[in-house]
Amino acid sequence: MKRMTIVQAINNALDIMMAEDERVFLLGEDIGHMGGDFGVTRGLWEKYGDERVRDTPLSEAAIIGTAVGAAMVGMRPVPEIMFSDFLGTCYDQIVNNAAKMHYMFDGQFKSPIVIRTATGGGFGGGPHHSQSVEGWFMNVPGLVIVAPATPADAKGLMISSIENDNPILFLEHKALYRVRGDVDESKYSTPLRKAAISREGTDVTVVASMKMVHESLAAAAELAEEGISVEVIDLRTLRPWDEETVFASVRKTGRAVVANEAPKMGGLGADVSAAISEECFSALKAPVRRVCGLDAPIPFSVSLEKLILPGKDDVKQAIKAALA
Amino acid sequence: MDVLLDLYRDMWVVRAFELGLEREFKKGNVPGMLHTGLGQEAVQAAIAQSLRHTDAFFPDHRCHGLLVLAGTPGEKIMAELFGKATGVCSGKGGSLHSADPSVGNFGDNAVEGSMMATALGVALAYKMQKRDDLAAVIVGDGTSGRGEWHESLNLAATWKLPVLYCCVNNGYAISTAVGKAHATENLYEFACAYKMPSIQVDGNDIVAAHKATEEAVDHIRKGNGPFFIEYKTWRWQGIFSGEFRPDDEVHYWREEHEPIKLAQQHLISSGIADAAQLEQIKAEVEAQVEDWITFAKDSPAPDPAKATSNVYVGWEIAAR
Ligand SMILES: Cc1ncc(C[n+]2csc(CCOP(=O)(O)OP(=O)(O)O)c2C)c(N)n1
Ligand SMILES: [Mg+2]
Repeated sequence: MKRMTIVQAINNALDIMMAEDERVFLLGEDIGHMGGDFGVTRGLWEKYGDERVRDTPLSEAAIIGTAVGAAMVGMRPVPEIMFSDFLGTCYDQIVNNAAKMHYMFDGQFKSPIVIRTATGGGFGGGPHHSQSVEGWFMNVPGLVIVAPATPADAKGLMISSIENDNPILFLEHKALYRVRGDVDESKYSTPLRKAAISREGTDVTVVASMKMVHESLAAAAELAEEGISVEVIDLRTLRPWDEETVFASVRKTGRAVVANEAPKMGGLGADVSAAISEECFSALKAPVRRVCGLDAPIPFSVSLEKLILPGKDDVKQAIKAALA
Repeated sequence: MDVLLDLYRDMWVVRAFELGLEREFKKGNVPGMLHTGLGQEAVQAAIAQSLRHTDAFFPDHRCHGLLVLAGTPGEKIMAELFGKATGVCSGKGGSLHSADPSVGNFGDNAVEGSMMATALGVALAYKMQKRDDLAAVIVGDGTSGRGEWHESLNLAATWKLPVLYCCVNNGYAISTAVGKAHATENLYEFACAYKMPSIQVDGNDIVAAHKATEEAVDHIRKGNGPFFIEYKTWRWQGIFSGEFRPDDEVHYWREEHEPIKLAQQHLISSGIADAAQLEQIKAEVEAQVEDWITFAKDSPAPDPAKATSNVYVGWEIAAR
């Protein structure tokens, strides 16, 4: 065990996979000698060279297209899109090509790519460097969305993702990059499509992802002092998400809050809360509540940004409303 | 046998396949949209002739005939276009998305031009895997407005990748003339800007198209990086509502400069074949195509289980 940040944990996972499997290679902007905007690929270029840690121009569609093509002939590419906001420039490659290929060619091709991208707000990045984009991709059959909240999961999920045969969008929340935790230095994997119960509780279930897991845990700790017992679920895989774990928890607590940083309309929160209402209706003692970003772009000024993004207090409020 | 006679037969495969398909489409037997390769037979024959099964090619939306020339049994391509269980993608891809890796067919992408980017990845992987195979991408003139088109040329040139660009310049994207929508009507000039060797060739002259393609492939296989071929040609199909091009233009391309006629003249005048032989080739191919159509018509619809299979590798999707 070693204390690592999420940056170091993902770096460690990439290093392990690159050392073990020659088919794994990285491509993206400034990932080589610079080590990426956030340092996630630091040191890998020195170890694996230009061919396997490949700097690209600002050609996002070509980055993803190249990854897909290489994956079609047996490689295991891990492309990086510097900020998730830029996924719009390669949306077609992901949605129409990577995600549909296995289906439309009836299994004759696979597209095992892991698209790494920095996502989320909270650091004054402004409208084009702060969005949560999972909603853009929730409606895409064939695509997997993975979103870790802890260093240990970040490493295990990255290893599982590289070993998986499906195209994966791997969301790395910028505000969590420096979060530290104990990480096993050897190779291990964390299962995809399996949520984690981050905190056990009996009164209410909070289903969260990425930074909202931490906000929800903080809310749960404070509410515990008031005698409220909160169960926090970290989805980890957002698509397809783990219905079994979520439904079992809601059937136990009878109350559910869904916490997700992206705008409320049409997003992950909408999907999870609708599914809970559909499947667990008879167990519910209160309506399902959503804690999401407001329906606005992310403004630059940090004081304004705070008003748009959800936080611990919003989670607390929603829990109390569910219990009222 | 002379390679030109082979190519002549190949051109007839494209012609007869598309004429048969068009006839069935008009009868309502072929679902969806239909884009035919009629008029572009020489381009398709030339490309198919120069590739091998270990190469990868990305066909465009008019390449039905080329898919057969590449080696997939004609009945499996025809059945795919009819949406049948016996099709090469079990009826899930259809005209615009038929793939067959066993012959190097990496599938069309009906988002025109997107596979310019995908081809880069195949070529990069082949280079990393130290194979001397190449990735060919066949695209229409209209795709040269796409961002991926330019991203692809830039990166293939920068990384010296084994990519063969086959740009089928038939003068129009649906109704829009090349010169009206692009900075040049000579699309190879874009390749020049990316410092990529290129050639513009008469795509209706099978001898010229064949020679250019062979030379380009040879250049790439020697490890020299990408090559761009612009085939100047013309498609018979106008727009969905009919013909929109001027009469003299139609006359030139369909009568005076029609690829199969040009090939016949060449074969006969150079003594490679006589008219009777050429007639026999045509008749043989036409009969074969009718067999494929019968096969497709008689084939069953896909198994309903196919509707939900292979969305994910290894995972089932939720039931309704
Ligand atoms: C990205 C994209 N934009 C638009 C279309 C609709 N569309 C289908 S074919 C076509 C014209 C393509 O022209 P060209 O590449 O010259 O091919 P041609 O049909 O002339 O062979 C268009 C606009 C599409 N399929 N994909
Ligand atoms: Mg055209």
